[in-house]
Amino acid sequence: MAEVEASKPAGTSQAAKPGLIDRGLGPIFRLERGERIRVTVIAVLFAFVFLVLPGMLSAYWTDVATAVVIYTIVALGLGLLMGRVGLVSLGQVAVLALGAWVGARLLFATGLPFPAVTIMTGLITMVLGSLIGLPALRVSGLYLALITLMLAGAITVVIAATDFPNGGGGFLGHTDATTGASQIRRPAIATGEHAYFRYTLIWAALMFALALWHVRGKPGRAWATIRQSEPAALAAGVNISLYKMWAFALASFMTGIAGALLAGSSGTLYNLTFPTQDSIILLAVVLMGGMYSLWGAVVAGLLIKLLPALLDSWGLPPDLLTILFGLGVIQVLTTAPTGLVDQFPKDMAKLGRLIWRAVGSPGRRAAGTAGPE
Amino acid sequence: MPSWQEFQPFIVTGLALGGVYALSGAGMVVLYRTTGVLNLAFGAVGAMSALIAWDLINNSLWPEWPSYGVAVLFAAGVTLLYGVLLGPALAKRDALVKATATLGLALILLGTMSWIWSDKARSQVLPTSTHAFDIGTVAVTWTQVISFGLGVVVVFGTAAFLKYTNLGTAMRGLANDREITATLGVPVRWVEAQAWLVSGILSGVSGLLLSDLVGLDAVSLTFLVISSLAAALIAQLRSLVVTFFAALVVGLVSALATPITSISEYRNMAPFVLATIALLWISRKREISFTGTGLGNGRG
Repeated sequence: MAEVEASKPAGTSQAAKPGLIDRGLGPIFRLERGERIRVTVIAVLFAFVFLVLPGMLSAYWTDVATAVVIYTIVALGLGLLMGRVGLVSLGQVAVLALGAWVGARLLFATGLPFPAVTIMTGLITMVLGSLIGLPALRVSGLYLALITLMLAGAITVVIAATDFPNGGGGFLGHTDATTGASQIRRPAIATGEHAYFRYTLIWAALMFALALWHVRGKPGRAWATIRQSEPAALAAGVNISLYKMWAFALASFMTGIAGALLAGSSGTLYNLTFPTQDSIILLAVVLMGGMYSLWGAVVAGLLIKLLPALLDSWGLPPDLLTILFGLGVIQVLTTAPTGLVDQFPKDMAKLGRLIWRAVGSPGRRAAGTAGPE
Repeated sequence: MPSWQEFQPFIVTGLALGGVYALSGAGMVVLYRTTGVLNLAFGAVGAMSALIAWDLINNSLWPEWPSYGVAVLFAAGVTLLYGVLLGPALAKRDALVKATATLGLALILLGTMSWIWSDKARSQVLPTSTHAFDIGTVAVTWTQVISFGLGVVVVFGTAAFLKYTNLGTAMRGLANDREITATLGVPVRWVEAQAWLVSGILSGVSGLLLSDLVGLDAVSLTFLVISSLAAALIAQLRSLVVTFFAALVVGLVSALATPITSISEYRNMAPFVLATIALLWISRKREISFTGTGLGNGRG
């Protein structure tokens, strides 16, 4: 029940039990039982991934895990935009590329500590990303999606021409000579693969906390109203322009953070890191993961970065995944708009009931009640 | 700044490209007006049919024209199949959902293309490119002439078709109001299937022409659709004639920026910038209503 509650858009479940979070950082034991179980499960899961998992992985798989975490942050931002506010952006991968560019440039230009650069990157990307979101104040739906697609195309063209900073001089910081090029640095406390994975994990946890804080607070309720009906939101006194821009700014901030982390993770950035079709693939995995739940972002991160690595290690062509994601988009849009996070437990429960009926009571199956619903 | 002489060949390239953009823009606008679906897989379908033609000619050693025929048939078939299978399921959904679902088709085709043919860049020379003639000092190939001419013929032919034939009237009716048109006895699914078929044929033809004019590469051909989409958007997904002229402008601006070295690298931005400016200009007066917010909801 707790899962279903969680996957509902904010506003519906919140309206039913106000005050739960408004009490601020109240002690955990004052939470409802379902909430308490969830908090415990999340804490145990996080502890496992943070403490135990890196030790079980080789350097290669740790890099894959780091990529999963970084793309989870990107998916979280896009999921907030799409699931909470109902704004579709087809340009988030371009924003990620922008974030990575800014992050790399700042890391080469300044000697500031990595976390400071990460936050600065987030803020700069936030400003730039909000510019992309500016048309959202005027157009919505299909036209907004198309504008973001156009602007993403423009950003891709610019970055293809300027290339990524690699320690060169000038504003662009790119040199074609191999002698002047150097690696993008990592934080002093996290130069190795395992340490850097833990480092990105902490950032991801912070981003999830930020998202949760927004979703459960006033912005979340405003977004839910805007998503349901803009005229109703206007009538209720919600500042539509402010909250739409806020959503774009938040998503861009998160994507910028992810960009800086990606810059540190790769060492050298190439245009090939951000292929044009990735914007569509990102949209596909966010839809498949489930955009109404924050967990959907984790599923999306696993889909976009873990699955290709797995297929690769099994010797299968990664193009199969592109096909699978395409089918997934169509399937999600036609039959299961809530995505895997919501659908999978339901399907499993259905399967469980089917098996239970088949095994437990063969008499009833013979009576023709095999279909549970 | 290059001299007028240096610009001349790029005017020809620009007009040819603009013609193809107009061709595909018309295909997208007609489909959108009739079914409410903005087919973002248009480019992917075209790219795949161009690759099929290339494969038939170079690997199966088929003669050229039958290969092109099969390629266009494939494009028409895939588009029609998608429309017939998924059109009704998504008919009542928002325009955004319908467009997003076509991105699913685009991904399926992209994955299939990269699986079968890998991401290698190829070139495809249509037999019409081997013959050229001179206008002044500029050599013009027949492919370029066909691209521009086909753009003119298709756009104005379609406009006339929509205006003067029964099927065209039915399509315009659907564009205005689906329910009322159905009540009047128009076979909605049949008319929609026709629109999907026409749009599919146009995507196949423009895919073949672009593979010659620009190069045969799955991803770039798939995303070249954005340029024709830009033209269609400038026309607010409504007017075919505006689509035509916008497509010419997009083609010309991108081509004419090529010889200017300072902006040459950024010439591919032209369609995006033009479309964004156009969209913002169109939506400068925003209305909110309970039936939709002017632009964006429903059929624009």
